[in-house]
Amino acid sequence: MPSVSSREPIATETVVVAPPAPVRRKSSRWVGLVLLVVGAALVLSFPLVAPNPYILSAGVVILNYAVLSTGWNFMGGFTGYISLGHAAYFGLGAYGTGLLIKYLALPGFVAWILAAILVVIIAIPIGIAALRVRGASFVIVSIAFVLIMLLVFQSWREVTGGSEGLNVPRPFDVLRPEHHRIFFYLFTALLAFALVVWWVIDRSKFGTALKSIREDEDKAQSLGVPTTRYKLIAYVLSALFVALGGGLYALWFGDLDPIFQFSILIGSYMVLMALLGGVRNLFGPLLGAVVVGIALEYFKLEFGDTQFHLIATGILLGVVVLFMPDGVIPAVKGLFTRKSDQASIREVTAGELLEQNKAKTAAAAPRTAASTEETSS
Amino acid sequence: MSGALLLQSLILGVLLGGLYALLAAGLTLYFGIMRVVMIAHSAFLILAAYLAWWFNRETGIDPLVSLIVTVPLFFLTGVVMQRLLVSRLKPLTLTMMSVLLTFAVALIIEGALGFFFTGTQRRIPLPYASASLDFFGAQVPVVKLIAFGLAAVALALLFVLLKYTKFGQALRATIQHPEAARLVGINTDRVAGYGFGLGLATAAIGGTALSLDATIYPSLHWHWIGPLMAIIVVGGLGSIPGAAIAALVLGIAQSLLQLPLGPTWAQTVFYVALFATLMFRPQGFFGGRLAQRF
Repeated sequence: MPSVSSREPIATETVVVAPPAPVRRKSSRWVGLVLLVVGAALVLSFPLVAPNPYILSAGVVILNYAVLSTGWNFMGGFTGYISLGHAAYFGLGAYGTGLLIKYLALPGFVAWILAAILVVIIAIPIGIAALRVRGASFVIVSIAFVLIMLLVFQSWREVTGGSEGLNVPRPFDVLRPEHHRIFFYLFTALLAFALVVWWVIDRSKFGTALKSIREDEDKAQSLGVPTTRYKLIAYVLSALFVALGGGLYALWFGDLDPIFQFSILIGSYMVLMALLGGVRNLFGPLLGAVVVGIALEYFKLEFGDTQFHLIATGILLGVVVLFMPDGVIPAVKGLFTRKSDQASIREVTAGELLEQNKAKTAAAAPRTAASTEETSS
Repeated sequence: MSGALLLQSLILGVLLGGLYALLAAGLTLYFGIMRVVMIAHSAFLILAAYLAWWFNRETGIDPLVSLIVTVPLFFLTGVVMQRLLVSRLKPLTLTMMSVLLTFAVALIIEGALGFFFTGTQRRIPLPYASASLDFFGAQVPVVKLIAFGLAAVALALLFVLLKYTKFGQALRATIQHPEAARLVGINTDRVAGYGFGLGLATAAIGGTALSLDATIYPSLHWHWIGPLMAIIVVGGLGSIPGAAIAALVLGIAQSLLQLPLGPTWAQTVFYVALFATLMFRPQGFFGGRLAQRF
């Protein structure tokens, strides 16, 4: 990791964009830190202030979505490969946990970890096959994968229980509200873990390589980035976190149904949440999960079985794709920093880039020559 | 397994493959023209089937007559969709974002169908629903023959339109090289809009054909989009003959595999073919330069 003491660590593609005044940088960092502390305090105190178990369980669902969406963002955010089929890993993690408990009589959390390891083993060959193609074909394959899993888990009645579902015994012998509370904190811990891993990758050379794949895969490859291997690692990591989220969901909810576990809808929620918040931001998926999660709960309460939530999800997804494909966070940030006319590396011509880099190295050279070298590698 | 049963499966496979071919041709059109993967294609298919069912319930007239309304309606919808929605996307991320956009459209259609017609399973009561022709000992249902006939006629029309008319030439030019097409004076935006409309028109025809002998419900489109997507990847993205051949081959394979495996597991043939194609020939079996990068 590059040293953080003297200069703000920023991803390479934003290095290119004209840097804002140094004063604003420092203040924005403080704002970020304060927001982080306030956000964490809000999340951690939620079980204490939640008025009833229903609200608390809705909080658990939203945290679960946040874990899934952050997990999805390991692939979607870094490499730009949009998978609509990550619900397959959610379902595999959940069913894996349930089946291991049922057939091997393992303790709940051992089954959870073991199921996640098994999912990683499954994700490797799937990833190799899916990552042979780019763009549209990759999306098609991801959708196909979740449809296959749905078929298999519905038809393989003897093992999975088919459409009757699968019961997963609860790991804790406590009353329902207490159960929700424990799992709220477990999901929070998992989310925090996923966020930390994402943050570390975001600032690492590996993360930079993944982002270069997102911006231009051919160029990244020609510059010596082992694209195939890196994409696979990102894909498997992403599957792992989604599977961990699914397994924890199984332990919490206790009742699995193939139609829900392997629904394309779950996969599309992950995409919608990440896109809405902003795939390039650490907290983008979390923010999206909070917004979409609350909206979904509201629609299910108000409109029940009328399928109205499908229409709402569709309209929201369409609006996000058409009008703010970079998400809410960059849009809001743009309001404050007034430099949002440059969205990506491509918006800058080679000449401008040279000028900017000259100016920047001239400014940075006297003080921190070493760290400049490191970040630009 | 008797010979007659085998023959029957083969015939049913060809009939099913014909419908797949028509629908896959529509998907290929969108992809060829605009590099758009149209997830909502099968949602429009189910929408057309619902419109046919609704038309039949309200008027009592044969559902095939509803084609007079749905085909132009879908064509217009396609043109509008291309001009107002798809063309707004940034070219750089068009392929990915179009997947999400059309996915959103599919969700809206599914939600609207559930909202207006409820999730109840529907079926059109036809006087000739159970009639079948005897063909060398094989029983071939009349409705499936009609559906195949519709699909075949539509495909033939599409072929003639693309191959022999001025518009077809412009459309193919747009597919092959949009910039060059613009240089020789083709209004590629308008052509792309019409191409999108044509694609949706195939969904209207396919949906009406489907409504004749299928039980429909709002979420049925997920069962269609998977096989159709597999077909266009196996055939090679962007190649209409490739899509048609892959559709026939996979349709027949599915029909034959139903005998030993049953209908649910037989569906996996599409996904097995998809993964095999990706492993050994990622650009598809008939795809050219176009298919490689997408």
